[in-house]
Amino acid sequence: MKFYRIMAVSRRVFRGVVNDKRSLVLLFLAPILAMCVFGIAFSGDVENVNVIIINQDQGFTPPMGDTIYLADEIVNNLNTTTLSIHNMTSIDDARAEVESGQVSAVIIFPEDFSENAILKSQDQSYPNSAEITIEGDDSIVNIKTAITTTVSTALSDTLTENGVTPAIQLNSDPIYGEDAEFIDFFVPGILAFVVYLLTTILTLITFVNERSSGTLERVLSSPVTEGELVMGYAITFGTFGVLQVALLLTIAILVFNIMVVGNVLLAFLAVAILAISCQALGILLSSLAKRAEQAIQFFPLVILPAFLLSGIFWPIQAIPEWIRPFSYLVPPTYAANACRAVMLKGWGLDKIWPDILALVIFAVIFLALAVWTLKRSKN
Amino acid sequence: MKTKEYAILTDYLTKNYGDFTAVNNLNLKVEKGKIYGLLGPNGAGKTTLIKMLCSISTPTSGGAHILGKKIPDGDIASKIGYMPQETGVYFGLTVDQNMKFYSRIFNLQREKAEKRIAELLKFVDLEDWRYEMVDNLSGGMKHRVSLACTLIHEPDLLFLDEPTVGVDPELRVSFWDYFEQLRDNGVTILITTHYMDEARRCDRIGFMQRGRLIAEDSPLKLLEESGKDSLEDAFLAFARNEDTMRMGVV
Repeated sequence: MKFYRIMAVSRRVFRGVVNDKRSLVLLFLAPILAMCVFGIAFSGDVENVNVIIINQDQGFTPPMGDTIYLADEIVNNLNTTTLSIHNMTSIDDARAEVESGQVSAVIIFPEDFSENAILKSQDQSYPNSAEITIEGDDSIVNIKTAITTTVSTALSDTLTENGVTPAIQLNSDPIYGEDAEFIDFFVPGILAFVVYLLTTILTLITFVNERSSGTLERVLSSPVTEGELVMGYAITFGTFGVLQVALLLTIAILVFNIMVVGNVLLAFLAVAILAISCQALGILLSSLAKRAEQAIQFFPLVILPAFLLSGIFWPIQAIPEWIRPFSYLVPPTYAANACRAVMLKGWGLDKIWPDILALVIFAVIFLALAVWTLKRSKN
Repeated sequence: MKTKEYAILTDYLTKNYGDFTAVNNLNLKVEKGKIYGLLGPNGAGKTTLIKMLCSISTPTSGGAHILGKKIPDGDIASKIGYMPQETGVYFGLTVDQNMKFYSRIFNLQREKAEKRIAELLKFVDLEDWRYEMVDNLSGGMKHRVSLACTLIHEPDLLFLDEPTVGVDPELRVSFWDYFEQLRDNGVTILITTHYMDEARRCDRIGFMQRGRLIAEDSPLKLLEESGKDSLEDAFLAFARNEDTMRMGVV
């Protein structure tokens, strides 16, 4: 292997990308756009959910005291950012609204709500419990969860205000990720995803062209070896990977104010190794396509596994257990994991080395396979 | 040593693709400092033969010596120049960037490369297009860029696979003048062409059909032997003769 030949190839690939405005846009503008779109769309919690409150609570007047309207207090404690509250009196009319899709749920407080709640809390043997009924459109899980969470928060706030302390209390005391929002979880994932996707696809297309234009044959008839060629590509795309991440991180920090606790250089390292294995994957796939049009058919094959399995948009724990082993067969899983650990938890190389090692193994295997397919195509 | 006199010497060179035999037990000898023209219909095995001689395709059986060395050989690669049919230039780079890239992989020094690029661009008449993207050039111009890239490192042996396709007649003549000039300086050229006027300018011609060499001699001798007055007719005569012989064997 001669370094000057590797660098000649690397410069050539670099020139080719820089000369082509579309490639540049794909490499640098598309990821920014993707991050912004995903970031804005996913960052929002559920808001302005229309609900109808049917408050039939008659209140309860204890001996020698004022009448207490518990339902009113709960309604006042509902988070009005999440829920847009409308009041109605007829349960049937309210149900009709849900059925027609105008509102997401009806929240019903019965006549004896305060009475049951207070009597039950004073005497455990009292037969009736106070009940809040939510009749809703549960078909959209996020909205359903938002309604239930909002109501139960308002409920426990009201109880606390009335001096009723629950027997068991749950305390959350974060070790990592205090005040982390979805975007903080998301950005490290999208770094890995973007680099994986664009590097694989760009190498695939570039290399298919290299095959169909005869340049691959001319280069291989020269002193350049298959290994030097693959290494040349690796250097360029590894560099592009680092540049993409630098750009994305800058924007993520400036615009989305994301959390970076650890050493950003480690995230660069993880993504650079990812980019190197991805370009080798692109070369591998290119041997299965004769023209760029055929290469496009591989896109879903490249995009979907990473999108679904590598823990970019949702944690791997949310993937059914029997599929999870496949998650560990796609390289972006490790890059997303490493970036997240570095950025959110501030972990160092001493803790993320298994992810880095996995990425290095992928890179070595893919590079070797890429060289092997190039050599094999001579037969 | 016999291998030394020949730039190309093949030994029962064969290439199969599955059941299809592209090159069939071919014994080809090309003397140093000659222009050897390979003629034959599409699919005769000319390109496959050239690819094997450039070590970008591995023979199924048999072997070859290039410039006295058994291939594949690491040193030979820098002494040959291969011009593929598909042009083999990067459309997304400028003419200049293409030539610089090829000069770098052959480790040409910067001043040397500059000088070569200027010379070659003058020869292929593309000086005004040096900083133009290859994609924007016409088909014939792309072939000229390709030829210039092939010659950048002053190879001793040239493999030119249909180098003049799409090149206008005037320039084709000047290409051939240049090829003859190279030959006179000791460069060996193996060239494929479908133009008979070009074939006439070769020192030696090989007719290829179905992966075999069916006749080989100087253009004049071939005409004489076949009793025809054009190389096309001569080829057809040899091809028919070959077919009759094959039928006889079967």
